[in-house]
Amino acid sequence: MTLPASDSNSDIVVVDDLHFKYPTGQGETLQGLSFSIKSGEFIGITGPTGAGKTTLALCLRGLIPHAVAGQMTGTVTIGGRNTRETTPAALGEQVSLVFQDPEAQIIGLTVSEDLAFGPENYEWPAERILAQIPIQLKRVRLEGLEERETFSLSGGQKQRVALASALMMSPTIIILDEPTSELDPIGKEEVFDAVRHLRDEYHATIIMIEHAVEQLAEFADRIIMMDQGKIVAQGAPRELFRNVELFHRTGGERLPQVAELLFALEQDGMLPAESFTPYEDEAVQVLTRLLESAHG
Amino acid sequence: MGDKMEPVIAVRDVSYRYEGDAPPALDHVSLTIEPGEFVAFVGQNGAGKTTLAKTFNGILMPTQGDVYVQGKETRAAGLDVLARIVGYVYQNPDHQIFANTVRDEVAFGPRNLGLPPDEISRAVQQALELVGMQTEADTYPFMLGRGQRQKLAVASVIAMGSPVLVVDEPTTGLDLQGAQGIMHLLRQWNADGRTIIIITHDMNIVAEYARRTVVMARGHVLADGPTRGVLTQQAVLAQAFLKAPQITRVAQSLDPRLGFPADVLTVTEFQAALKERLTQRQGG
Amino acid sequence: MPVGYSIYVETPSPIHNKLDPRTKLAALGTVFVLALEFNHPLVLGILTLGVLAVGLYAQLSFKRFLPFFVGGSWFLLLGVLIWPFYISQGLPLFKVFGAQITLDGLLFGLAMGLRVALMVVAAGVWMMTTSPQKMTMGLLKMGLPYKAGLAMSTSIRFVPLINAERATIMEAQRARGLRLDRGNPLARAAKSVSVIGPMFLRAIDLAQSLAVAMDSRGFGARDNRSSIIQIGLTPVDRVIMIGCAVAIVAGLVMRILGIGILVRGYL
Repeated sequence: MTLPASDSNSDIVVVDDLHFKYPTGQGETLQGLSFSIKSGEFIGITGPTGAGKTTLALCLRGLIPHAVAGQMTGTVTIGGRNTRETTPAALGEQVSLVFQDPEAQIIGLTVSEDLAFGPENYEWPAERILAQIPIQLKRVRLEGLEERETFSLSGGQKQRVALASALMMSPTIIILDEPTSELDPIGKEEVFDAVRHLRDEYHATIIMIEHAVEQLAEFADRIIMMDQGKIVAQGAPRELFRNVELFHRTGGERLPQVAELLFALEQDGMLPAESFTPYEDEAVQVLTRLLESAHG
Repeated sequence: MGDKMEPVIAVRDVSYRYEGDAPPALDHVSLTIEPGEFVAFVGQNGAGKTTLAKTFNGILMPTQGDVYVQGKETRAAGLDVLARIVGYVYQNPDHQIFANTVRDEVAFGPRNLGLPPDEISRAVQQALELVGMQTEADTYPFMLGRGQRQKLAVASVIAMGSPVLVVDEPTTGLDLQGAQGIMHLLRQWNADGRTIIIITHDMNIVAEYARRTVVMARGHVLADGPTRGVLTQQAVLAQAFLKAPQITRVAQSLDPRLGFPADVLTVTEFQAALKERLTQRQGG
Repeated sequence: MPVGYSIYVETPSPIHNKLDPRTKLAALGTVFVLALEFNHPLVLGILTLGVLAVGLYAQLSFKRFLPFFVGGSWFLLLGVLIWPFYISQGLPLFKVFGAQITLDGLLFGLAMGLRVALMVVAAGVWMMTTSPQKMTMGLLKMGLPYKAGLAMSTSIRFVPLINAERATIMEAQRARGLRLDRGNPLARAAKSVSVIGPMFLRAIDLAQSLAVAMDSRGFGARDNRSSIIQIGLTPVDRVIMIGCAVAIVAGLVMRILGIGILVRGYL
């Protein structure tokens, strides 16, 4: 995986004072967001419903301001290009977005037709498209399903098809907007598995919006927490999930249960601050030591 | 208990086959539900939990076996009678909502039951108060957020006054606050005497709210009992492709020689159990 | 095999795999024209058998033809019942309600019924041997704008989904006491709003989300689109299309000469 460089020249996404208001909205959905993402980072975005996460995803993909109505101020720069001056189609060779609803983004009657949709728009020759299809299907563990009818797929399979379709353009930035919220546990597992594979094997910047905090803790280098159109916190999982008071105050997002527990124990003086972890396996070790130490 | 305590729902050796030669959606399932219970049906999509619940209000009739609702056999009773006993809230509120105002939406059910107008308005008012949406009575439903629409869907079923409520995936698509809002309501109604059945795969919600859990997979019931006992059966949950809440998993991962209980359901319980263990050790 | 909501049946036959969809469309059109050019039951019967033979060559099972036969036989019955009242030429047989029924009348009625049956079976064979994707591609190559073609194939993709949602919506409303089988037609129509309303809203919502998703995947990036569905006219196609043209002309000539015509003066 590409390690993020330390100078700002490797900022692949720069958001500067981004505001956005929908035509029917009462007030701004995005109220002045500013942050940057380095090439190769895995960024998690979380927060309560209505925080503006999907709106942000649309801005990062350049669909706002071109394909979605509303008033946008501020700038979003993707790979050095200003989204206001570049069409979503032009950005499409660099950024891909996977939407929340599996049904609303699958276009093809069959899996291979859906994967072909994007490249066909860019007039790729048929041979090139047909050669890429099995490669991307393999990445999401859907080998051999080229001729399957998309209607007959499970939710988890549909989202993986959407992911494979997103990968067809070989994007350097992949945005995932709550890819598992409509799925059952198997589907969630399948999609997170695919994301894990992506993080390990595919060199790209990944931005994942999710409520599944335990998975965010596992995958993300940095997590941005939003509430009511603003960024209220950001940091590595270890730091962010220590901010228990913040999570309780905003109320829209769960902490990993081990984070809740260990923080509470720290408050009670039963654990030192350094023992804090949002990870399950580490928590088991910490608790084991704690119980053993009291073992007479 | 008195001798008139018959189960509100009795499922006797029920099987259900959808058309074609697909494997049965329900395969010889038997269980009973007493009035006032709070039960969770858990399992993957296709495990049969929704199919089972749909035999309770007459949407589906078993292809084999019988279902009795308040003592009435469902095939004989029919949907009309059963809809008054078992209210069913579907997973996606947008599959139900069609009226121009919240009030009209809630009135749909009672109106279909043929209640007189003054009773309808009373039922609507009560239902709106129960979900805390009296002030939105004249709002256009699609101006509401997902969490509110979910409450609206629940209110419109509650307004029919059924003593049993089945809610399919109460928390999907909701954030923590939204989910807690709905579950709080259900817990309150359960305290008021209603029988609540939730169909879900959110094990954290199950651990926190459901007193009894039925685990299903491939049309069979794999486990049925108090939530605490069921959630600690790792093998059974694995068979149903489910995972216990993280805190339960952590308790189960601890070395048994440490003597820590493996049937912890919430963070609070874990904390309390930990305190007990530690003070015990130090004191003892 | 990938069919969406069409009746396409995949088989390894050359009709499915070696012929361009445009050729099949031309053949269908030719059958329709031939059906109109003749009105003798024997000729039409032979044509019908010919279409059936093509269907069997395409490895379509007899079972699949059955719905079309059943549909077609209604027309046969209708033809034989109605047309004899209008035709007075030929051998008189018996009287019904004062009208003289002749042999030619019955045969003509049979021919008219056969004509429709022939068209129905031909259309069936065509649909069962051409996939919607290739059909759309054929139309695109004949000049249909690509956005229209996409609208067609997207609709096919979504029909099963909307249908499934309709079923769910119906269930949800039935659970709230909706009875669509009670009341006069007007009342029932009013009640269906509770099913059609959410269905429409969902369809519109889907359409909007889909439009954004398509933009997200570069729709409109170029003036034209490439396609993984490849079709092309081969010499076999050209021969068949020439054969179609010849058949039509021959049929026209025969009509003028009165060959294969039972009753002059009628189509």
